[in-house]
Amino acid sequence: MKQIALYGKGGIGKSTTSANISAALSDMGLDILQIGCDPKRDSTRMLMKGRLIPTVMDQVRERGDRAVMLEDVVFTGYGGIRCVEAGGPEPGVGCAGRGIIATFQILERLGALHGDVVVYDVLGDVVCGGFAMPMREGYAQEIYLVTSGELMSLYAANNICKAIKRLSGRSRGICRLGGVIGNGKSLDREEELIACFAERIGSNLTGFIPRSQVVQMAELNKKTVIEYAPESSQATVYRKLAGTILENTRLDIPEPLEMEELESLAYEFISE
Amino acid sequence: MNSSRNEGCTLTGALSVTTAITDGITIIHGPDGCAHHNSSLLHALQVDSDRLFAPDILSTSLSETEVIFGGEKALEETIRQAAVCEPGVLCVLTSCVSAAIGDDVQAVCRDFSHLPIVVVPTEGFLGGGFSQGVEHALIALSDLGETGEQNGRVTLIGEKNLEYEVEANYLEISRLLSLLGISIDLRFVRNIPAAAVRNLGSASLNILRDPSLIRVGNALESHFGTPFVPAFPVGLEGTRVFLETVGRILGIDSKWAVSAEQKNQNRLIESFHNIRGMVLSSGTNTHPIPSLFEELQQIFDLSFDSRGKTVPIPDPLPVGTSGLSRLLHRWRRICRE
Repeated sequence: MKQIALYGKGGIGKSTTSANISAALSDMGLDILQIGCDPKRDSTRMLMKGRLIPTVMDQVRERGDRAVMLEDVVFTGYGGIRCVEAGGPEPGVGCAGRGIIATFQILERLGALHGDVVVYDVLGDVVCGGFAMPMREGYAQEIYLVTSGELMSLYAANNICKAIKRLSGRSRGICRLGGVIGNGKSLDREEELIACFAERIGSNLTGFIPRSQVVQMAELNKKTVIEYAPESSQATVYRKLAGTILENTRLDIPEPLEMEELESLAYEFISE
Repeated sequence: MNSSRNEGCTLTGALSVTTAITDGITIIHGPDGCAHHNSSLLHALQVDSDRLFAPDILSTSLSETEVIFGGEKALEETIRQAAVCEPGVLCVLTSCVSAAIGDDVQAVCRDFSHLPIVVVPTEGFLGGGFSQGVEHALIALSDLGETGEQNGRVTLIGEKNLEYEVEANYLEISRLLSLLGISIDLRFVRNIPAAAVRNLGSASLNILRDPSLIRVGNALESHFGTPFVPAFPVGLEGTRVFLETVGRILGIDSKWAVSAEQKNQNRLIESFHNIRGMVLSSGTNTHPIPSLFEELQQIFDLSFDSRGKTVPIPDPLPVGTSGLSRLLHRWRRICRE
């Protein structure tokens, strides 16, 4: 079983990327489980025909954690992909990080964590221990950072490298950086910049997804690109990315950059 | 253990104050363990002092569910539950858990404006320990005080409810004040109903139990204009100075009181003539010998040496002349054994 987690700045396209990778892998005949680890709960929406599925935390809130059953929290979507949303408290109360930890414990108890590939789609930043849960022992071994060429997006990705580095240093820490996924915002020399960033942190560019109208069209139709426009060049990009991830054996302990290094790197690709 | 008796948990310190309100209920907004451990500790200490103690403590029983979804509802429910008993005051004490998840305890309590609620910040992980818990509880409860005409009487601030000699010390202060013709109006907070706290602003003088409460003294002075003496008296000279200080602040001639107390102290010295010249040891106590004992060394020609009889050095130090008398009794008994 391969377990991967996608991390990156909020709004950068982690959920779109995760859903399309899951869809592409499922088209290859693989058994996929995608887990949305964000209280916003919209990771799996495009795999579920636009439906916001009940979350693990919704079920806990309604019936208590001991009463939650597998069928209450695992929903089958496109291509038989099993979809789970962790969910969390109402915005502004409680502790969402603890909610992620509780979700993992419940999924373990229910025996939900199986399949050929488990995809963890984690919220914007590793704000507390709870959101580092997918990186812990026994869960995702390969972390993929999703970033555009914008400085703040690179900054967030760089920050997550700190968490990966820290966790990989533990005696039984198996979590490593699998690579960097570029999600384009149509900036000049963007792919080059992200590839350079990946190299500087001691990793590599897993794939680059150019900005495309098809992604918006697919979302408006409540589908992944793989499902909505399987013949499009964008679908080919996602399939290629999914293939690269599936085949990937390179796992690195990243070396995060200092803020000044990051800024001067971004500057290099703008000033010319 | 890397923690001293005055450190520990803020919550315990605050509870030692809030549970001394006879018609109050204390809510601990935290997991059951916070309420259980503290109740057990307080209970054990009180039983040790031969006092019956069944504090009205309620727990909001925070569990993982409340940690994830927020504990404000649990607090609301517990406040409603407590309100049925119509307590004189409802003290809401926070915990590490409620603070870490960011429950807005003040806002929840504001919604119950028809109830007499006092919020005491007691999240232990923020540091501060036992003493700070006492301080926070006293300052929070002072909100119940009302400004009033000065009544010529005295309020005791922050008596140590858990100390063995708490009542003996109270009697000693009463005795000393009576020499000046003054009485104690309020014990803030020791075994009083919540309504009694209203008089807090009417005292002409506050006497703090010890200087660790200086911020409470300052807060009450700036709010009600009440001057304060920073500590209960320690030592023979210290006791006489205490009488002079209280007299000066209240505009009372203390000459007669000081001279009467001097005579009392002379009788004490006379009655302990047989400890003169004894060699004592503070045992394994590595703290510096307090200045109180320099006075005793001089008066009774005592010396402290590791070869001497090991005698207890109490903490807190004995209060007034009577406290010293009890201490000397103990020392003499030990030396005769």
